[in-house]
Formats: sequence, C-alpha cells, structure tokens
Amino acid sequence: MGGYTNKILEVDLSTRKMDNTDVPEDDKKRFIGGSGVAAKIFLDRFNIKADPLSPDNPLIVMNGPITGSTFPGTSRFAVCGKSPLTGIWGEGTCGGNFGPELKFAGFDGIIFKGASPNPVYLVIEDEKIELRDAKDLWGLDNYAVTDLLKERHGKERKPKVLSIGPAGENLVRFAAICNDKGDFIGRTGMGALMGSKKLKALVVKGTRKVEVSYPEEYATLRKLLVTKSRDAVVAQSFRSMGTDAGMDLGMMTGDVPIKNWSIGEDFQLSANLGGPSLTEKYLTRNHACSFCPVACKRMVKVDVGPFKAEEGPGPEYETCAAFGTLIMNDDLAGVIKANEWCNRYGLDTISCGATIAFAMEAYEKGLITKKDTDGIDLTWGNIEGAIELIHKISKREGIGAILSEGTREAAKRLGKGAEEFAVEVKGLEAPMHDPRGFHGMGLAYMTSIRGACHLMHLCLGVEQGITAYPEVGFQENYVGQSSEGKAEMVKLCEDFGIPCNSLVICEFVAWTLSANDLAEMVRVTTGFDFSLKDLLSCGERTWLLKRGLGNMMGASREDDRLPKRILTPVGEGAAAGSVPDVEKLLREYYEIRGLDSKGKPRKEVLIKAGLEYLAKKLHG
Amino acid sequence: MAIAFPSVEWVEEYKKQINLSEGYKKAGATWTAGVVALVTSAKPEIGINEDVGIWLDLHQGVCREAKIVTAEEAQKAPFCITGDYARWKQVMKKELEPVKGMMQGKLKLKGDLPTIVRYVKASQELVECTTRIETKFLDE
Repeated sequence: MGGYTNKILEVDLSTRKMDNTDVPEDDKKRFIGGSGVAAKIFLDRFNIKADPLSPDNPLIVMNGPITGSTFPGTSRFAVCGKSPLTGIWGEGTCGGNFGPELKFAGFDGIIFKGASPNPVYLVIEDEKIELRDAKDLWGLDNYAVTDLLKERHGKERKPKVLSIGPAGENLVRFAAICNDKGDFIGRTGMGALMGSKKLKALVVKGTRKVEVSYPEEYATLRKLLVTKSRDAVVAQSFRSMGTDAGMDLGMMTGDVPIKNWSIGEDFQLSANLGGPSLTEKYLTRNHACSFCPVACKRMVKVDVGPFKAEEGPGPEYETCAAFGTLIMNDDLAGVIKANEWCNRYGLDTISCGATIAFAMEAYEKGLITKKDTDGIDLTWGNIEGAIELIHKISKREGIGAILSEGTREAAKRLGKGAEEFAVEVKGLEAPMHDPRGFHGMGLAYMTSIRGACHLMHLCLGVEQGITAYPEVGFQENYVGQSSEGKAEMVKLCEDFGIPCNSLVICEFVAWTLSANDLAEMVRVTTGFDFSLKDLLSCGERTWLLKRGLGNMMGASREDDRLPKRILTPVGEGAAAGSVPDVEKLLREYYEIRGLDSKGKPRKEVLIKAGLEYLAKKLHG
Repeated sequence: MAIAFPSVEWVEEYKKQINLSEGYKKAGATWTAGVVALVTSAKPEIGINEDVGIWLDLHQGVCREAKIVTAEEAQKAPFCITGDYARWKQVMKKELEPVKGMMQGKLKLKGDLPTIVRYVKASQELVECTTRIETKFLDE
C-alpha cells in the first residue's frame, strides 16, 4: 500500500508523552486520508461534546496518500478539530510545503491531545522528535517566528514551519495557522485551537520519499497531468494574475459581494482591485506551492505611500474582496497591508474582512460609535480604520474583543438588530461569492459541513463554468441565477469535492484535471483497486460522517439557512432581483441526500454507506 | 432577412452594431490593445471548407474595420480566439460566456490573457451586439 507511511504521531501536550499510532487499512480505503480520516479518528476516539478550546478537543494534522507524491497540487494537508468559531466540525487545508515534509519525515499525520501548561513547539527531524520550550517565541508574529525557527533549526537545510501568531495565542476565534509565512489554514479558527494548547509551532525536516504502488504508471501519469494542469487556461490565468484574476469576471456575473453584501455591481472597484491591477502595480514575482504547475501565489511589494510594504506574500482574491469591495475600499496597496498584518497575526482574511465589514455597517447605523472604537473612524472605505481594527482584534483590545469572537457572536452582543446584517452560516463568515448570482453556491453554503464555505465542494468551479466534469454527471452550462437542478448539482459537487480534502489535493489544480485523473492518482499511489465510482462513494460516505459529527455537536435543520442579507435582492448588476429559492433547494436536497426532518442523515442511508456505528450513535 | 454566419454581410452588420452600441462604447473606451480576430474552425458538412477569420479592428470603443480574413491572417492579430462552429453559436445565443469558454478550453485564446480579463465587460458587450443581428446559422 503506497502513499501512506502508516504512522501517525500522537502527542499528549498535557503529559508530554509521545507515541505512534495508525488507522486500520479499511479506514484508509473508506475515508482515504486528510480530513476524511481525521473525522473518523475524531468520531472513534474523542469527546464530541468537549468545548473547542478545552484540552479534550484534539488538533489533528493529517496528510493524504498523495500528499508529497509530486503529482500536481499535492502539497496540501488538512488540519481538523472542533471549531472554536462555529462549535461544530472544523477543518481547513493548506498548500505550501509542510504536509510533504511531514511525510518525508515519516508521518501521515499528528494528533495533538491535551494542552501544555507553558508554550511549546514540536521539532521533528525524521526519527528525532522533541517538544521544546517556546517561551521566547510566544508573542512573535508568524513572519518573525518562521525566520527565527528556520535559522535555529536550519544549519544545513531549512526546515518547514507551521506556526500561530498572536491572534492564535489570544484565542481569536477566527485565528489561522501559518505555513512558512505565505500559506494558511484560514477557516474555522484552527489557530485558536492550536493556541489553546499553547502550541506555538511545528518544525519539520524529513529525508524520505513517498513510495507509490505502481511506479511506472505513476511516472507516466505524472508527466501527463503536470502538462495538462500547466497548460489549462484557468491555470494560465491564475499563473499570470493570481486567484484575483476572477475579480473582473466575478463582478460581471454578480459573484463579488460589495459593501457588506448590499450592492450588486461596481466595476470601478473591480478595476482597481482585480488581478490585472495587482499584477501591473505590485507583483514582484510568482510563487508556487511544492509540486504545483499552476503557481497562483503572488509575491508583492509596495514601494511608497502610507501602505509601504517589503516584498512578501500577496493577497488572494478572497482577501482582495474582503478588504476591498466588501468594505468599499478601492486602494489595493491598503489591501496588501491588511493582508500582511493578517498574515503576521495569523488571522483568516475572509472572516476578518467580513467581521470588519459588519462593524462598518454597525458604525454606519450608529450601533457602535467612535467612543466604542477608541476613536477609530469606521466609515466605509476607510482601510486605515480597518487596519487599526485588525490590530485590536488580534490583541482582543476594546471593540476588538467583541469582534474577535466572530460576526455571529458579535451581532448577538451588539443586539439592536445587528443579526440582520451578520453574513454567516453556522457561525462561519461567508466567503466572497454571492449566492444571489449563483444559487447553487447558496445551497452549498447552507449544507456545507463547516458553515458558509466555498471550498469543500467544487460548486465554485462547476456552477460558474470555470471547469466541467461531464464524467461525474454534471451539466455543461448551469444558469447561475436559477435554483433549478441545483440540489442534484450540489450533492454531486460535495461528493466529488469532499475527497479533495481527503487526498489531499488543491481545488484549483483539480479544476485543471478530470475526475478520472484524481481517481487514477489514488490508484497508482496506493495500489487500491480504485475508480471514479469509489472516489464518489468515499465522498458521500465522508460527507455523511462529517454531517453526523456536526449533528452530534449540535447542528440541525434550522442551521441549514442563508442569512437575511443574502436573501435580500440587490438592485443592480447581473444578479439584480435574484435570490436563491431556499425552500425548493433544501426540500430537493434533503430528499436526494437522505436527510430527515432534523437534518440528520437517515439511518438506512448511513447503513448503506457502511456507517453502522454512526447510525447507532445518531439514531440509537 | 437573416444573415448567414459567417459571411461578409454578417461581418458588415456586426461592425454596424458594435458602433451603435453605447454599452460597448463605454466598456471599450480605453481599449488600445489592437485587433481581435475570431476564427471559426472549418466544418465542410455545413459549407465551411476552411477556417474563417473575422478581423475586428477595435480601438477606444469603436470598431474601425471589420472584415473576413484567412486563418493565417487572423493569427497575426494580437488577440486571436478560435472555436468550432457550435461554440460560436453558443456564444451568440448567450449560452457560453466567452471568457468562461476560454477557461474551459472550449475557445482557444492566443494573446495576453490579463488584458482580456480586464475587458470582460467589453467582451460581454461585443457578444450582446451579435444578438442584435438576425443570424442564420448554417447548421440549422
């Protein structure tokens, strides 16, 4: 069985005891790896009712079988646990280079249990594993701690670093985990979970290679897929302009949220904030995750002005929208600076930008004033004010303490109707894709395992026609502003998208490949008798498992909803007057997915998927 | 009377519609990147025996010249978009947005992609202009 090292490191931070463990081969076949296997481990071994920030909630770092295989897009790994932001199952994946290095060191993953009384960091150099004191690192931002650890542990060869910044230390609920300054596990607050364990960083160096089951087939397939991925137009687009290439097209199709989701179109904003502007004004060079022919990452520099910035990792589309259109800021240099601060502190730029947009609307409506903000002017478009708020949120200072809890909780605390413009689902702030332009995305937000999410399904690519997988059964051209046929589309998107977080593979690279290609990658790597049908079955089974976990953590039918703001039509742009037909979408989806009136997977559906154990837990 | 696509008459009418379009005038006002050529791949069974190019000399919101050219000539344009007949028909019927078509590989672009992406609104207006022509599709 290639691809796996068959070894998961288990670290009890309370006792400092370390051990190796593994999951049964059958679980590898049924849940593949990454967040799929992590969810199974969580269900089997951990306390579902535990407070997310308590020692009982594990932090699970997990590779997939193809992580580090050198197939395109296989730098990714998953980090999972009960989310401090949403209170339900949380997970995120990250590119960069940490996952492969962990596998080269001999591990499929690491399970952190308990919590250390003092700050610590973990060093892995192949078999040599050590928990070290991190008192001198606590308080450092992600850039500083990464530089320091690379210097300290990189005399001959630089290690790969995973770290949290002050936001994670201060338990900001949407704190992120950082890999080598430029890549993040952003969503669902895994940085706060890591901070609650007083775990500042992981430092890894490995010397092994990933063994595959069918080396000759692997070599042929790899060569083919690298070329295919590199030459795809979407890859060319991302390579030349970054993921922000989508800003202009998104504005045209009604995908880009503006002014906290209250305006439908502003081409001046997209012209100032889009990929061409970023490329022409601030790009210094491209950057790529390990084994990626797409190379969508940007290195940027701002030479002059109030937002002067040294060369560093640049903003993605999501950040350009969250700190641009969403708060009515058209200054791209300001976005770059906001992005740098979020990177340094370790904040999810989506949740942070969305929370600041929420605060700006509260300020406009008089729910908060300068007295509450310590004098910060939160008028729409004021990026200086937004950056000041980033500092306050990260340090939990003043109004930042409330906002650091996330939009849902902040709205509750502010009251006075603030929930009306809090744009989140299950506590997770909505990413920068408007369901009024694409109704399927609305359903995907409602039913996604971790809350409003644009990644754990492939809806973004499929519904917007950026990619097409006819072999999976998708139609060729979906009409964005229609709810017709979208329940079936979303279910398929989830069944196909969920395995991407199990393999683990980059979604953008997946857009450039076929579904059969992904199944083949698993087959030649692992040696499993594995086809597209198996990939989709694994996707369905894993979706049901994670949904069940969510149910046990408290999510129900009432939580499958869209926020009021998204159900209010915009007056202009491509999506003017359009809102998803929530009742129809959910009714059809529940039927297709086999959910009961409480939002739980039906017993017979779970049994059919081979999840008898979960069926018993959910239904008795 | 419906005009066959592609033909000299259709291209003349297209130029007229582009220059009547307030939307294109506005969206393409800053376009100085040069000629856009659209190539329809040969399909002998409907009478298109060789690749046909449509040469659009676009400049600052105006179409200065539109003509039928050979595929070889079309390739000399700074931007050349190639697709088969069915794809162009989908574009004109607004069933396929051209930038998405390029992303999916249904239309092949030769030229600077960032420039095209920056002018997606203008490309949308150019498609809109085709819908104002009563077009006779040769495969119908």
